[in-house]
Amino acid sequence: MKLGGIKSVENAHDDSVWAVTWVPATAIRPPLLLTGSLDETVRLWRSDDLILERTNTGHCLGVASVAAHPLGSIAASSSLDSFVRVFDVDSNTTLATLEAPPSEVWQMRFDPKGAILAVAGGGSASVKLWDTSTWELIATLSIPRQEGPKPTDKSGSKKFVLSVAWSPDGKRLACGSMDGTISVFDVPRAKFLHHLEGHFMPVRSLVYSPYDPRLLFTASDDGNVHMYDAEGKALVGTMSGHASWVLCVDVSPDGAAIATGSSDRSVRLWDLSMRASVQTMSNHTDQVWGVAFRPPGGNDVRSGRLASVSDDKSVSLYDYS
Amino acid sequence: MASVYIPVQNSEEEVRVALDQLPRDASDILDILKAEQAPLDLWLIIAREYFKQGKIDQFRQILEEGSSPEIDDYYADVRYERIAILNALGAYYSYLGKIETKQREKEEHFILATQYYNKASRIDMHEPSTWVGKGQLLLAKGEVEQASAAFKIVLDGDRDNVPALLGQACVEFNRGRYSDSLELYKRVLQVYPNCPAAVRLGIGLCRYKLGQFEKAQQAFERVLQLDPENVEALVALAIMDLRTNEAGGIRKGMVKMQKAFEIYPYCAMALNYLANHFFFTGQHFLVEQLTETALAVTNHGPTKSHSYYNLARSYHSKGDYDKAGVYYMASVKEVNKPHEFVFPYYGLGQVQIKLGDYKSALSNFEKVLEVYPDNCETLKALGHIYVQLGQTDKGQDFLRRATKIDPRDAQAFLELGELLIVSDTGAALDAFKTARTLFKKGSQEVPIELLNNIGVLQFERGDFELAQQTFKEALGDGIWLSFINQEHKSSIDAATSTLQFKDTQLFHDLENNGHNVEVAWDKVTVLFNLARLLEQLNESGTASILYRLILFKYPDYIDAYLRLAAIAKARNNILLSIELVNDALKVNDKCPNALSMLGELELKNDDWVKAKETLRAASEATDGKDSYATLSLGNWNYFAAVRNEKRNPKLEATHLEKAKELYTRVLIQHSANLYAANGAGVVLAEKGHFDVSKDIFTQVQEAASGSVFVQMPDVWINLAHVYFAQGNFALAVKMYQNCLRKFYYNTDSQILLYLARTHYEAEQWQDCIKTLLRAIHLAPSNYTLRFDAGVAMQKFSASTLQKAKRTADEVRTTVAELQNAVRIFSQLSAASNLHIHGFDEKKIDTHVGYCNHLLSAARVHLEAAEREEQQVRQRQELARQVALAEEARRKAEEQRKYQMERRKQEDELKRVQQQEEHFRRVKEQWKSSSHSKRRERSDDEDGGTSEKKRRKGGKRRKKDKHSKSRDDQEETEADMMDEQEMEDEEADINYREEPQTRMNDDAVENAQGLLAAAGLEDSDAEDEMAAPSSTLGRRRQALSESEEDEPLHRQSSPVRENSAEMQLSDGEIRDGEKTNGDDASD
Repeated sequence: MKLGGIKSVENAHDDSVWAVTWVPATAIRPPLLLTGSLDETVRLWRSDDLILERTNTGHCLGVASVAAHPLGSIAASSSLDSFVRVFDVDSNTTLATLEAPPSEVWQMRFDPKGAILAVAGGGSASVKLWDTSTWELIATLSIPRQEGPKPTDKSGSKKFVLSVAWSPDGKRLACGSMDGTISVFDVPRAKFLHHLEGHFMPVRSLVYSPYDPRLLFTASDDGNVHMYDAEGKALVGTMSGHASWVLCVDVSPDGAAIATGSSDRSVRLWDLSMRASVQTMSNHTDQVWGVAFRPPGGNDVRSGRLASVSDDKSVSLYDYS
Repeated sequence: MASVYIPVQNSEEEVRVALDQLPRDASDILDILKAEQAPLDLWLIIAREYFKQGKIDQFRQILEEGSSPEIDDYYADVRYERIAILNALGAYYSYLGKIETKQREKEEHFILATQYYNKASRIDMHEPSTWVGKGQLLLAKGEVEQASAAFKIVLDGDRDNVPALLGQACVEFNRGRYSDSLELYKRVLQVYPNCPAAVRLGIGLCRYKLGQFEKAQQAFERVLQLDPENVEALVALAIMDLRTNEAGGIRKGMVKMQKAFEIYPYCAMALNYLANHFFFTGQHFLVEQLTETALAVTNHGPTKSHSYYNLARSYHSKGDYDKAGVYYMASVKEVNKPHEFVFPYYGLGQVQIKLGDYKSALSNFEKVLEVYPDNCETLKALGHIYVQLGQTDKGQDFLRRATKIDPRDAQAFLELGELLIVSDTGAALDAFKTARTLFKKGSQEVPIELLNNIGVLQFERGDFELAQQTFKEALGDGIWLSFINQEHKSSIDAATSTLQFKDTQLFHDLENNGHNVEVAWDKVTVLFNLARLLEQLNESGTASILYRLILFKYPDYIDAYLRLAAIAKARNNILLSIELVNDALKVNDKCPNALSMLGELELKNDDWVKAKETLRAASEATDGKDSYATLSLGNWNYFAAVRNEKRNPKLEATHLEKAKELYTRVLIQHSANLYAANGAGVVLAEKGHFDVSKDIFTQVQEAASGSVFVQMPDVWINLAHVYFAQGNFALAVKMYQNCLRKFYYNTDSQILLYLARTHYEAEQWQDCIKTLLRAIHLAPSNYTLRFDAGVAMQKFSASTLQKAKRTADEVRTTVAELQNAVRIFSQLSAASNLHIHGFDEKKIDTHVGYCNHLLSAARVHLEAAEREEQQVRQRQELARQVALAEEARRKAEEQRKYQMERRKQEDELKRVQQQEEHFRRVKEQWKSSSHSKRRERSDDEDGGTSEKKRRKGGKRRKKDKHSKSRDDQEETEADMMDEQEMEDEEADINYREEPQTRMNDDAVENAQGLLAAAGLEDSDAEDEMAAPSSTLGRRRQALSESEEDEPLHRQSSPVRENSAEMQLSDGEIRDGEKTNGDDASD
């Protein structure tokens, strides 16, 4: 289990790169890498040479999140002004512009079947679900107010939702918030299930294991990656090693490893069987805001790829084997 | 059996007296002697016999009777015997005097002895034995020279007089002339081969002193053969045996010493040696008895010194430093020069160190060092003393010398290392490493403390891997290995996952599974340090287990609780952290560290009053000596002074004063306290003393670099604040950025906010906005940041619109930014229904209103700008055409001139033709020459034009440059206009700390901004109207001048022309094309 650097594009964007995701392969083209940056652009890259395919403009303020439909034809990008732009990957035609004021937009994720786009709603303490055929808001999953001792407390009572993750079967949705709690929802019934506790600092990224619908990995500003049994409400493991905030986490398609990116400028690969960091990549010179394993599919299924993006304006691609 | 026969008076009979059966009462014998008028030699024989049998009283009784005046009368003619009796008595009293320790009795004995000898001398001046006796007496009195004179008198008469020879030998020995003494003893032996053993003792002693140890030994052994009970010889041999310094020799020596003691228990030398022996065997009671006896029997300085030394050592080793000190002192007093016997100085020094009298100890050790300049122990002791006296450099010197002299003394390196820790950790580490290598080379076990120290130093230097190895080496094998190497994965996972930082179930389970969960007491510290290191390496999970292991075994180890609390705090788990600190307080409710930490946690929980109380308690727990608690209180006061809500200037001032006082108090106690200095700097800066505070911060910053344990990002920020306050924005920006990168991995949104604010003040709007966006991305729930971003966008737009000159693109960006600002403000406005984040909807609406207003204004501007752009484009086109036209015109002009000139020439020619018709012969010639001349001329003209063209090009470049500088000028003008606004804005800048006031300020600003925007627009318009007209006017003027000048000076002085062009370009304001256009219109 290791990572090998393939290519790194310096100045891939004109400013910090904040978001990355893979657009799955379609019948006519291989998978593409989608990145979003503070420079207000979204860029598409063809691997493995990371050739710039296209630059999408139109966002104001920085692009904070990008998401790709599992079929690979549609993608969404969102910026700090809380607009979501849904566009056709190949033609760059805008399919929809979504906003749900006063809810903000942070992380976005398409569900595994591609029917719903989940959007972390920031200060609205909710996750918005959009129908991907009509682009209408179908549900708002709100985190119930906790019975706090001090209801007037500025931060304590509200859950500021930063991140979302779908379970592989699409039935569960987990979201991470500023105060470190993770909320789990039953999507078909649009119902809040429970909180997962253990973090006390923002959870900026979380991801379900592709094989175990119960297993959830969370990355937090406290520098740790937690492993939860999301159904049993139990913390099953803690992985420490990063020197600063863990900003992003992604799980490998084979489910054997996770990759994390951190403010400490490193990308770490963790062996889940050993529950230990097996490799640290330190090619970035600033915070690593996104890591993404390439989903299986396309022509070269065998070779795993991991991409990372950073405040240093670069995009890096690694071979995962 | 020997016997004497006393002749019976007036008869042939004799009384037989068996010498071994002398009556106990000497009077019986005396009666016989007197009655029979026995010869005096018999008296002497009998007295001597009594003496030999130890019956001293009888001996003296007989001799005193034998020297009484009656006897003198009766035996008046028997001179020799009388002298002999007197001499015997003299010798006896000399001896008594010699062995007597009490000064008065001693004197009395010597006086008596002198009297007897003098009496003997009166009988016969020349009797050699009397002189010998006198000599001996003088020797006993220590008057060596006079004794020598006495012996000399005898030897002059008889050079083989044995007693005199012995006496003289003794004199020479005392004078230190051992070879002379030896010669004399040898002569005695030649003259009188059967002499007593004592003579050979003298030989032995001489040889010993001369360093001929083997011969000396032979001599002593011969003495013992002759006199097996000769104490001196025994002692001498014993000492020689001891000197061999081998176990066997020492044993033999001690046996002899013991024998000597048994024979004669009052030999001080033997006593001292025995005491010495028993000191080493640890029988202190015996030591004291022996030395006390020795002290009682001797008056000999060095011997006494030795005895005192033994006594002192005994007390020293028992830990009775006061007594030991007294006896060492006594011993030292008996020593004339340290060279003779230096040990007591060493001991005294040691005791004085113990008693804290470092100055005296210093002088004593220095005396030892004079004698043994290379003695490592002394060097180390001196090093230690200098450190205690605060002269660390000297201390280090001494220890360095010690390590140089004996580079294999691991202990010395260890001490040196410990010394250096304070001053030079690098050197300390080297010393420790050397010590470790030495221990290893000597295949000794390396002390755990040493490894621990090495590990800590490596830790401190940031060599985490090495430190980890060292700690592991120090720990050796144990249960911790399985935690560090994560063997019991499943159980550990369970333990960490429960998040129960106090959970010890894991260890119980391990114990139940038959694992040995033990932590040796001397390894706890190392274990703790290792855990601390793991924390540093971000392995906080493993660290937490190790801390818990420590607590499992040593539940009173407060630091472990506190570290666990710190880990919990780092994870923002404040409640757990407080719980853990409370556990620590259960162990010791006065622990200042725990209290301080609790105070800090309470602060974090916004529990101000409680925090203050806790911090006070911490401060009191240490009588105010704990800087941390005092500092925290200082910080508390500072924060209270600058806190957000309800500013009360009076309270603020008192809090600041109090904070300053507390910081100063810490600084008085610890002048090198970085945090206190930083705090003091902050207070000073708060009061506006920026130069002083800058100095302080700079110093603190310098001091804080270098150790992983001292992380002071605050001082960087403060320094940046000062730069900011002083208007040095570029440096402030750099400082903030460095701080952010160096300490926070660029994650601190607050510093980004400072950065944004600096950009704002520096009017770097785009940087400001970008920085704020980054901050928002880092801290999404901080709505204040959004508000600020909105304000920055608004400001950017306003300032762009105020610019006298801007491109359509700029205006377009402005419009976009204004739209963003409107969106941000409206989002905030919408969100404020949902959240409590301190924004008044109305204020936001005002902003929205203002932005919209600006937006509409901007649209007008945009149109204008676009129009202008169009015009410019048109003008440019026009200008191009005009330029071409002008070129054509100029060419035409030139052509015309040429033509005119040509015509003139032709006219002239005609005239000449007319005037000088009679030169018809040469007419043809004339014509041809003028033609060639003409051609030259035309060439000249052509060259001139091209030159001019080139010059024109140059001119254009210059103009470009100039127009740029004019842009700058415009900007500064714009700045000037902004200045009044900036003042308002300044309040706006404070809003980070104070949302409430900020809003008000902003409202004011808004109102003014609206007005200003309106007013400025007018001035803008005016500007635009006025500027072109005036410049045009000037331009025209300049041009007309130049046009006048040009033809005049063109050919005559090209230099002047250039200067004229300079003037021209000075006069020029905008683009050259435009000028040309005007030109054309002229």
